[in-house]
Amino acid sequence: MSTSRDDFGIAIRSALLQKGTRQKFSLFVLILISLLIFILDASNLKPIKVLRSIFNDGIYRISAISSSPIKFSSATKDFFVNHIFLYKENEELKEEIKKLKKEQLSSTYLQTENKQLQEIIKLEKETSFTSVGAKILLDKNSPYLNSVIINKGGNSGIKMGMPVLSGGNLVGRIVEVNFLSSRILLLNDLNSRIPVMISPNGDQAILTGIGKDKPILEYLPKNFEFNSESKVYTSGKDGVLSSGIPVGQVTFDGNRIAAMLYSDPNQIVLVNVILQKETDNEAN
Amino acid sequence: MAISIKNFRQNFLRLVPLILLIFICISEFHTQFYLWEIFSFNLQFIIIYYWILRDPSILGYGFVFLCGIINDVVLSLPLGTSALSYLFVTLVAAYVRNATVRPTIFTDWFTFIFAVVIGNLISFYLINNFTEMNTGYTSVFYNTLFTFILYPFFWGIFELYKKTISLRLHD
Repeated sequence: MSTSRDDFGIAIRSALLQKGTRQKFSLFVLILISLLIFILDASNLKPIKVLRSIFNDGIYRISAISSSPIKFSSATKDFFVNHIFLYKENEELKEEIKKLKKEQLSSTYLQTENKQLQEIIKLEKETSFTSVGAKILLDKNSPYLNSVIINKGGNSGIKMGMPVLSGGNLVGRIVEVNFLSSRILLLNDLNSRIPVMISPNGDQAILTGIGKDKPILEYLPKNFEFNSESKVYTSGKDGVLSSGIPVGQVTFDGNRIAAMLYSDPNQIVLVNVILQKETDNEAN
Repeated sequence: MAISIKNFRQNFLRLVPLILLIFICISEFHTQFYLWEIFSFNLQFIIIYYWILRDPSILGYGFVFLCGIINDVVLSLPLGTSALSYLFVTLVAAYVRNATVRPTIFTDWFTFIFAVVIGNLISFYLINNFTEMNTGYTSVFYNTLFTFILYPFFWGIFELYKKTISLRLHD
């Protein structure tokens, strides 16, 4: 018994301290260095933050370059797939145009009516945003975080918490800002929580990421019902995100009520980071 | 001239596992898929475990540490998290190498479960206790499971590769 314990001790000690023929460091030293780096990074000291920010910018650029073969192969595949389904898509789009033309007529009437009503109740009119366009540098998922990195950072006025849109729809918010790059936490990430409003009834809920493609809607009112017209918008109740940004369509995901996002977080290429809101007067 | 080209080729082939490991850590190479939501695996663990166990001269401990740091930056984890988990996988592999006389796929595979569980537990513990990030038990569990299941497949590929470049086991 004691012999086998000795053998175990010898093998572990040897594995930890021995340097092989071409090894320059022992495992023990490297584990100690890793621990030290971890403690320094977790301490959130300002110099360490600045250092990490510079380090992040450098690594992200190298990552973007090294990912180009993967991006190229993915783009080639998409190109062929798109061409295969082009005819079918064309037919569908024609149908959609007909439908939209019909809806446009009623929409114009509703817009006019809405404008009149807003004037009556003197609501603050927020109709446009000042935004900065950015390109996705790196899109890598892990069991821990669903996020993407964009090529704009603090130098473009981006700050923590700013909402990010793709095609006019919300896709996430900024959670890390470096000088030349930033990280977007996607809506489907486990850490994402967004206060939302569901039209047409105006029900309030929290859109919670669960690590899958459809985030779920939590804290819905009792006897909540939805149909194909039920859409999810930001409510702006957190005071960070603007209200009325389109998010997705209410749907079922298994036995849970979820949102089918308008912008697929796995397909985004270009995004707009909302820097600030503008009122109607400023926009004009 | 012919000898130097042969040496270059031999040296380059020996560098391929290291290049692959760095490429996986730094690029957009996906091992987490939405097509089948529960499927994800940790290819870095497999590469590190296999090559440290079979030929540590190919993959230096310093490079394993460096890849961990790069992975932390790319995935926005606290610096040192992946480095620690990779180094513990390395530790298990180095221990198994010291303790076993004649390694087989079954001994490798059986001991790999300890490496992958320890590696993922370290990441999970550090992230849950020292950051504000939430992590799902299930996604980490499935990641561990599929990494374990896929090991023999990559073991076969790496064995073939090792035979192709006629590596000699030493250290």
